[in-house]
Amino acid sequence: MAPIVQVTKLDKYFGRLHVLKEVSIDVAPREVVCLIGRSGSGKSTLLRCINFLEEPSFGTIEVDGLKVDASEKGKERRQMVHEIRLKTGMVFQEFNLFPHMSVLENVIEGPVTVKGMDRAKAIQLAEENLDSVGLLFKKDEYPNRLSGGQKQRVAIARALTMEPRVMLFDEPTSALDPELIGEVLNVMKKVAKDGMTMLVVTHEMGFAREVADRVLVMADGEIIEDSKPEDLFNKPKDPRTKALIDRYRTGAN
Amino acid sequence: MQSDSTTGHVVKPAPSQAELLYEAQQRQARNFRTNVGLSWGILLLILVYLFSGQNFLGIKTIHLDFEFIRNNLFFIAGGLSQTLLVSVLSITLATLLALLAALGRLSTIPPIYALSTFYVSLIRGTPLYLQIFFFFLALPQLGIILTGLTAGVLALGLNYGAYMSEIFRAGLASVGKGQREAAIAIGMNPWQTMKRIVLPQALRFALPPTGNEFIAMTKDSALVSATGFVHEVMWRATRVGRAQFHNLEALIMAALFYWVMTLILSYVQSLIETRLSKGDR
Repeated sequence: MAPIVQVTKLDKYFGRLHVLKEVSIDVAPREVVCLIGRSGSGKSTLLRCINFLEEPSFGTIEVDGLKVDASEKGKERRQMVHEIRLKTGMVFQEFNLFPHMSVLENVIEGPVTVKGMDRAKAIQLAEENLDSVGLLFKKDEYPNRLSGGQKQRVAIARALTMEPRVMLFDEPTSALDPELIGEVLNVMKKVAKDGMTMLVVTHEMGFAREVADRVLVMADGEIIEDSKPEDLFNKPKDPRTKALIDRYRTGAN
Repeated sequence: MQSDSTTGHVVKPAPSQAELLYEAQQRQARNFRTNVGLSWGILLLILVYLFSGQNFLGIKTIHLDFEFIRNNLFFIAGGLSQTLLVSVLSITLATLLALLAALGRLSTIPPIYALSTFYVSLIRGTPLYLQIFFFFLALPQLGIILTGLTAGVLALGLNYGAYMSEIFRAGLASVGKGQREAAIAIGMNPWQTMKRIVLPQALRFALPPTGNEFIAMTKDSALVSATGFVHEVMWRATRVGRAQFHNLEALIMAALFYWVMTLILSYVQSLIETRLSKGDR
């Protein structure tokens, strides 16, 4: 099947720092891909380049047939980037819910303001998604009244209500207390099961192992391994992958 | 309860340790407030006594002409509406300018950034009193004749706008980068991001200090009396004071009006602040 996300020879510099080095990845529709690696390996930057939260230095991003090259400029490109953002939902480590809006307002903000969707229809859609993350009963609360896990589940509902083709998760559980991680991972599993294409930057090896179709390991701005989870955990090819997995195993024990 | 069985005491349903501590703390805070209030009362009494004209223990106090005060009370009080009018108009203009200047500081377009910093620098580098006279006395030389009210409001608005732009800048800076990123990620353009996400949060942050500026402005509005054509509290006080050589009484009356006005405004301000702090942070 033709890939729905295709990153080709992507380079990213922060000042003089070379954080992504000719990275290429393909993601097929309905595939769940986890990106793992140590901090500073470039995995978050790669994810943030896909919806142009970071401007890539060189290379091409293609999402669902919309192709943008880093070298392009101008109005047409801005329009393409906008459309790519509409096709990608993003979930952040720090949730980034809008504190001045209720849960429901957070979730309908995108459809109503950006897509111009009819408010009643947006509310209906939002309530369905809030229900599926188990938080419909919190719809009139403000974010500061929610736990971290609940905030992240609302953030997932907010992204889903934009009806994206691809969901990007940037370390969605790293800011959570350990006892709240499970509820967020469960929601993510559900989203995966519903057939969403997902790219997940994570330190949760258990999740990668259980849910991912494919795991990409990053180190020093490069993808050093691209395997099915069972292969990765049983016979890692690269010594750096092995070190990563060993650390996870000792941590888990 | 282990300790009870070992010590043999029977525990009465008494308030817990934590409750007692809390009550003591509350009592202390209450006492402090009461004592501060009493001291205020005493200071106020001393002040009133100083101006009572009575002789007490050989200390001569200041004698005021209460006849004059009675006769001119309503005349001076009549300026309150003008004072408030000048302040409300000026703070509205100032808020608008401050917001524009603060947004200009975020601009990546050089002329806009420059315009914003130039305005703030020019206004903050010259006296407010001069600015009022500039609009009222200097512009007519160029054929631009403004009423005292217009000149005063323009000067006060421009002046406070420059200072308040810092408040709005801080407000905009208080909205985290993650908020903008979340807005961009759901496809908002820069204008939508500003209007729907950043500004509402920044304004909430900026509202209490803006209230402070408004209170300060009600007092600086007295400078507009210098034009001689805005009949607010200060103008009226100096007019009757000079005419009848009762400046002492007239200025004391004006001072009391300003004081009471700022007390009321501060109270309103604190009410707004309490409401905001209960909000959704």
